[in-house]
Amino acid sequence: MSDPTPYRAAVFGATSAIATETLRALVAERPAELLLVGRNPERLETLAADLRARGAECEVHATDLLNPDAPWASILSGGDWDLFLIAHGSLPDQQATLDDPHATGREIDVNLISPVRIAATCARILEKQQRGTLAVFGSVAGDRGRQSNYLYGATKAALETFLAGLRHRFAEHPEVKITLLKPGLTDTPMTADIEKGPLFSPASKVGADAWSAVRKGKSTAYLPGWWRYVMFVIRHLPDFVLHKTKL
Amino acid sequence: MHSWGRVAPVTTQVDTPAWADRIHPAPGPVLAYGLGRSYGDSCLLGEGRMIETRFLDRILDFDPASGLLRAEAGISLDAILRFCVPRGWFLPTTPGTRQVTLGGAIANDVHGKNHHRAGCFGNHTPRFELLRSDGSRQVVGEGDPRHAATIGGLGLTGIITWAELQLVPIRSAMLDVELVRFRGLDEFLELSRDSEEFWEHTVAWIDCAASGRDLGRGIFIRGNWSAHGELAPHKPPGASVPVDFPDFALNRFTIGAFNTLYYRRFFGRTNSLQQHYAPFFHPLDSIQGWSRIYGKRGFYQYQVVTPAEAGAEPMREMLRLISESGQGSFLAVLKTFGDKPSPGMLSFPSPGITLALDFANQGNATLALFDRLDEAARAGDARFYPAKDSRMSRADFERSYPRLDEFRSHVDPGMTSDFWKRMNR
Repeated sequence: MSDPTPYRAAVFGATSAIATETLRALVAERPAELLLVGRNPERLETLAADLRARGAECEVHATDLLNPDAPWASILSGGDWDLFLIAHGSLPDQQATLDDPHATGREIDVNLISPVRIAATCARILEKQQRGTLAVFGSVAGDRGRQSNYLYGATKAALETFLAGLRHRFAEHPEVKITLLKPGLTDTPMTADIEKGPLFSPASKVGADAWSAVRKGKSTAYLPGWWRYVMFVIRHLPDFVLHKTKL
Repeated sequence: MHSWGRVAPVTTQVDTPAWADRIHPAPGPVLAYGLGRSYGDSCLLGEGRMIETRFLDRILDFDPASGLLRAEAGISLDAILRFCVPRGWFLPTTPGTRQVTLGGAIANDVHGKNHHRAGCFGNHTPRFELLRSDGSRQVVGEGDPRHAATIGGLGLTGIITWAELQLVPIRSAMLDVELVRFRGLDEFLELSRDSEEFWEHTVAWIDCAASGRDLGRGIFIRGNWSAHGELAPHKPPGASVPVDFPDFALNRFTIGAFNTLYYRRFFGRTNSLQQHYAPFFHPLDSIQGWSRIYGKRGFYQYQVVTPAEAGAEPMREMLRLISESGQGSFLAVLKTFGDKPSPGMLSFPSPGITLALDFANQGNATLALFDRLDEAARAGDARFYPAKDSRMSRADFERSYPRLDEFRSHVDPGMTSDFWKRMNR
């Protein structure tokens, strides 16, 4: 609690397990004023109660982040923001999704179109402020197309390219940081149906590492860090080797 | 899914709700499952639906003036401590592991080293909410029979969605600890009696491989909260046991050697030290998955309490049987319970001496030892503990819990467990 000025953050998809743990790590470290944005008002209030008990000031805003006309952008105006965190995403059964063209579109909406729209709005604010961080959750799944989750992976890869472009755009503004957070396999409700192996990390570890990456202003952070080496190997596997695996 | 003993895993349908509005208590039969630290089958349901609660882990309210915490029932004691220790608060009582949920601690009415002062966990949970299989939500508080039925109620009276917990203030995360070596059960009882007034936490480790004139030797451990030291919470676990140990790793020689070394770990009769709460209360939590040292076949826990009036005799007989069998364990723990009653109808602790041991599953030899121990326990009018049990008989269960019939009327018809089915067969 060395810094008396509260850290101001707006969080989209705040009720996701990893976002929750990222915020818990933040508020354990310093005073914070948080704007929690998501779909379900009761869940947002429950999360706000948890973070308030831990010492944060919280406001909640329930809205449909998939709707470009929803007025979520207006609630960001007028503030001086330290952080925008975009955390919503979904990982459904891939084959069922691909068999249904509407479901395919919805997945791309949730994992790519909506985050890009929000990131573009936040970027405008950061440009005006000349400072602050935009952090977005990507995934190790975006590093290489693999048969088990290439729809999800494709959306996360596109998001990564988009953020790389934003980072380029802000290259001359050292006080503006664009951070891509790439969790590996994480033990959350989203992965409840996947059998747990030794590569799974607890959400609390991933969240703590995410906050640490944001605080340090990193460009890209694997969560936990050792995923960088795992994905280095997977990215460099020749096709004829990869295609023999079930990855 | 398996319990901590790993003896009899089950394959079943599992729900993992992330939010309270996603807990669906119907259709039944269902059973709430926390972190699976019960040793036997009381936390398992093979045919039905298990509702895993560990993602329901939010703090709903905390009053920094009174220390009253309200949280979702899937929060672990580990997470509660990381929250409350830096704020100068601690659990009113804690079992030997932090890796249990708030709901699980209530459903098993867990106890700790300060039982003689604080009573059980359920003595400190003034209110909680029950979600019944008919979809109704009931907030129950002290004095309500549904509150009393749920404390120690093994998850059978409804799903606990949130609970209040009264924390206790601490000035430091450290304890002043004294270790005193004792040579037999009579010395143990004397130490217990003498320590109760001035020591908040007492427990004893017992060398169950010792025999003859060494029978019942051990180390008495007593501690009080320190007035000095930082309010630093525990660190995340370091090492883990990644694989199941082979069956030959534990045998009477390795266990005997470990026990003798442990008994001889300091010179003189007593040893004083300052210790953080983590190694004092939760020595095994620093090694993740420690139960895997018992190998693929898993292990059994055995815990009973014998009434104070019976004195040391029943325990002496049980220790003799264990040492004779050569099937000792590393973790033999002896503790005297105080007379503070828990509200729980099926609460395990009662005034007397409790002995807890773990045994590698060596098939029939282990089960035969248990049969002999059961006989000695029955002769001593002992009570058995569902949270640690995989094999108690219906008669022993009914004899152990005189309020069982009163409890039955509060059981939710949509909830059951493999243990409960076994007790009603």
